[in-house]
Amino acid sequence: MGDIVKLMSHRSLRRDTGEREAVREFLGVMLAGQAYGVELTRIREILSPPPLTPVPRAPQHVKGVCSVRGQLITVIDLRLRLRLDESPPTRKTRILLTENSGEVVGLYVDEVRHVLRLMETEIEPATAVFGNELSEHVIGVGRPPGHVLVLLDLNSVVPR
Amino acid sequence: MSDPTDKAREDFLSEAQEIVETLSRNLLALDEAHRQQTSDPSLINEAFRAVHTLKGLSSLFGATMIGALSHNLEDVLDDLRLGRIALDTHVLDVLFKAVEGFGRALTMERDATPPDRVPSFIDDLVLQIKKMGAAPGPSQDDMGEYEIDPGLLAVLTEYEEHRLRTNIQEGLSLFKLRVRFDLATIDKGLEEIKEHVKKFGEIITYLPTGESSSIEFIELDLLVASKHGFTELNAELASAELVIEEVPRRRAAEPAPPVAAVADAADAPQVRPLTTNANSLAAAPQSPGLLAETTGSLRSVSQTVRVDIRKLDHLMNVVGELAIVRGALARLAERLRGEGQRQSATDLLRLHRNFERRLAEMQEGILEVRMVPLGHVFERLGRVVRQISRDLGKEIRLVITGAETEIDKLIVEELSDPLMHMIRNSIDHGIESADRRLLVGKPTTGTIALNAFQKGNHVMLEIEDDGRGIDGQGILRRAVQLGKVTADEVKDLTKAEIFGLIFLPGVSTREEVDDVSGRGVGMDVVKTNISKLGGVIDVHSEEGIGTKMTITLPITLAIVSALLIRVAEQTFAIPLASVSEAIAFDDSGLRVVDGREVMTLRGTTLPIAHLDRLLSLTRSMTAPRRQYVVVATLGVRRLGLVVDQLLGQQDIVIKSLGKSLSEVRGFAGATELGDQHVGLVIDAAAIIEEVLTTSELGARVARMLHG
Repeated sequence: MGDIVKLMSHRSLRRDTGEREAVREFLGVMLAGQAYGVELTRIREILSPPPLTPVPRAPQHVKGVCSVRGQLITVIDLRLRLRLDESPPTRKTRILLTENSGEVVGLYVDEVRHVLRLMETEIEPATAVFGNELSEHVIGVGRPPGHVLVLLDLNSVVPR
Repeated sequence: MSDPTDKAREDFLSEAQEIVETLSRNLLALDEAHRQQTSDPSLINEAFRAVHTLKGLSSLFGATMIGALSHNLEDVLDDLRLGRIALDTHVLDVLFKAVEGFGRALTMERDATPPDRVPSFIDDLVLQIKKMGAAPGPSQDDMGEYEIDPGLLAVLTEYEEHRLRTNIQEGLSLFKLRVRFDLATIDKGLEEIKEHVKKFGEIITYLPTGESSSIEFIELDLLVASKHGFTELNAELASAELVIEEVPRRRAAEPAPPVAAVADAADAPQVRPLTTNANSLAAAPQSPGLLAETTGSLRSVSQTVRVDIRKLDHLMNVVGELAIVRGALARLAERLRGEGQRQSATDLLRLHRNFERRLAEMQEGILEVRMVPLGHVFERLGRVVRQISRDLGKEIRLVITGAETEIDKLIVEELSDPLMHMIRNSIDHGIESADRRLLVGKPTTGTIALNAFQKGNHVMLEIEDDGRGIDGQGILRRAVQLGKVTADEVKDLTKAEIFGLIFLPGVSTREEVDDVSGRGVGMDVVKTNISKLGGVIDVHSEEGIGTKMTITLPITLAIVSALLIRVAEQTFAIPLASVSEAIAFDDSGLRVVDGREVMTLRGTTLPIAHLDRLLSLTRSMTAPRRQYVVVATLGVRRLGLVVDQLLGQQDIVIKSLGKSLSEVRGFAGATELGDQHVGLVIDAAAIIEEVLTTSELGARVARMLHG
């Protein structure tokens, strides 16, 4: 988490100097051993997972519900949503809170890495890389120097 | 919401809504009075004042539609109260239309999409209202045999003068009531006197005398017109604080009329002729009409607070969290006791009990604030009945009982549309035409009864008509036509199941389609809306005799007592309102009837469902040997739910599951159980309906309704 804070303050510094054209910020997360990115502006909060209550009859990718400061939140397992392998929680497991059409939803991820700033030129559109199956949840592939990560489209990942 | 102008606007809208409701109430009362060929001038005057206030408010907030409407309506009501035009059915119709117009305009204002130009329905209304405009009123100077001091006439408002003249012309006698009020309690005192005096006559005006014996008292002269004689009035009204005298007539002997004799009138103020009062007015700080009005309105302002219901929800959440703190305190006390610190444990437990009591009081207080009488909705329905019955040319008598029954504000809001639809159906499909009714030997006027009453933690609402009843065969034909059921399946349906089909989309209780209802959309929506409130609808109908729909609703959505249970290592809450009892489960008594498990409970058959199987829960251990049956009830339906363990009772705040779980059936929401854990709340109504569908078809119907 230390990296994030540092990176974020760095970000605001850069922004103040007016250098912000066509740069998008992503939060790097790990899902089933692979690196993914979600748009930073969409993330409200990062939590250590509170106790989750499974919901019978809910779609499989719903990990359960939990209460965050009195608010009831549905937690979606991004790994199951993307049909990846599931593994038991570790101490790095986190829940990202994001808002989707008025509802606050939790996203269950294996690990939160760092914030990445990507120029538009460093983002490859999804259709160029994937077949249609996966591309519905993907904005594209980010290729910052030394990294490759799949950029997720939160609007599509979180079911309505 | 944080924007102050938004807040002010919100206040304006809710105030306008209230005014329109008051207006509607007045009109309904006027309509009733008119039908009985009586009239109550105070009703017209109240309506006039309501519209006047509305006009002022709407111009403040730039609500042009409401402004235009109220401006024109005010003129008509003014003409009405001054007797320039007479109240008849046509005028009432237009007035009712204006109320509807206000309703539509308010909705548009609330949606914050007021159109650029005034919509045509407002123009139409204004035109209709203008058409009623009055011929110049007859201005008689005739005060009959009364000689009224010009000084008094000068301070009367036009309306008061009009009422004075009318009353004199009708041959009523005038009296002056001198009343002494304690300044501290004048609001209350004046209201009481008004109520009391109204029974005997009409109060035309209030005039301060300006000559009280003490600064703690104020004296008012009430000018009253009454058909009663002096002796009668004196016997009924006079007291130490109230002295009556007759206003002298022209032919009467010149000296002051006899002073009213009062038993213990030693300190009663001196009675003076009416004329002096008007003179003393010059010294009075306000005009008399104003005084009476301001005392009235100040009072209501000081005692009523309008609160956004979300704020109450928030308070309720805080109470819920305090309840969790309460639990933690109890655990801490137990721990201290376990560690041998007996004194501290006892002290802490005492604090805990105190805290618990106050918390319960607070919770009750908040709930009370949320409760409103159903009367508000019923009034709106009264208007609908009037409108539709006129449109369809049917005579309907609406009988309302239990308007004072209270229910959660949120439920009331969501209730008016479904109820309106059901009433429409009753009038349109249920009640036959007058000819037809005569033919079958019913009175030509149809009756619709709207009954509300509380039953335990539920409010029951009944809508009953004495119409033709539901044609079960017709519904079946329609359902088969639409492919909802096959002809084969039809044979197995019970009567209740057939009536249940009217809640399927596309099935109507009527063949032809018209403006009012009959498109077959509606009852399914009604059912969905009622279900969302945690309620159910039961239909009873006898062909030729009538139909009764019963809605069972929870009293509040905010907080409920629940039974906590465990099954397959998971904790669930079941609202106690839908639990009748919990007993030990004895599987030796299980039988299978019609492919469904049942047991016998005190001589009656109880269908059984295993909650673990029903919810497809997986167990890491086998089920315990000793299990329990929680008997869930809904109206007349019962279902035994088999669970592993009963944990006890707890008050819970139910929070609805998010939109992403809206497809999941069987849960009313979730609640915090303490220790950060969340428990799911079982929606007993949904589960009962899901399970208690006898046949394969029943299950299909249930799926269509809920899936």
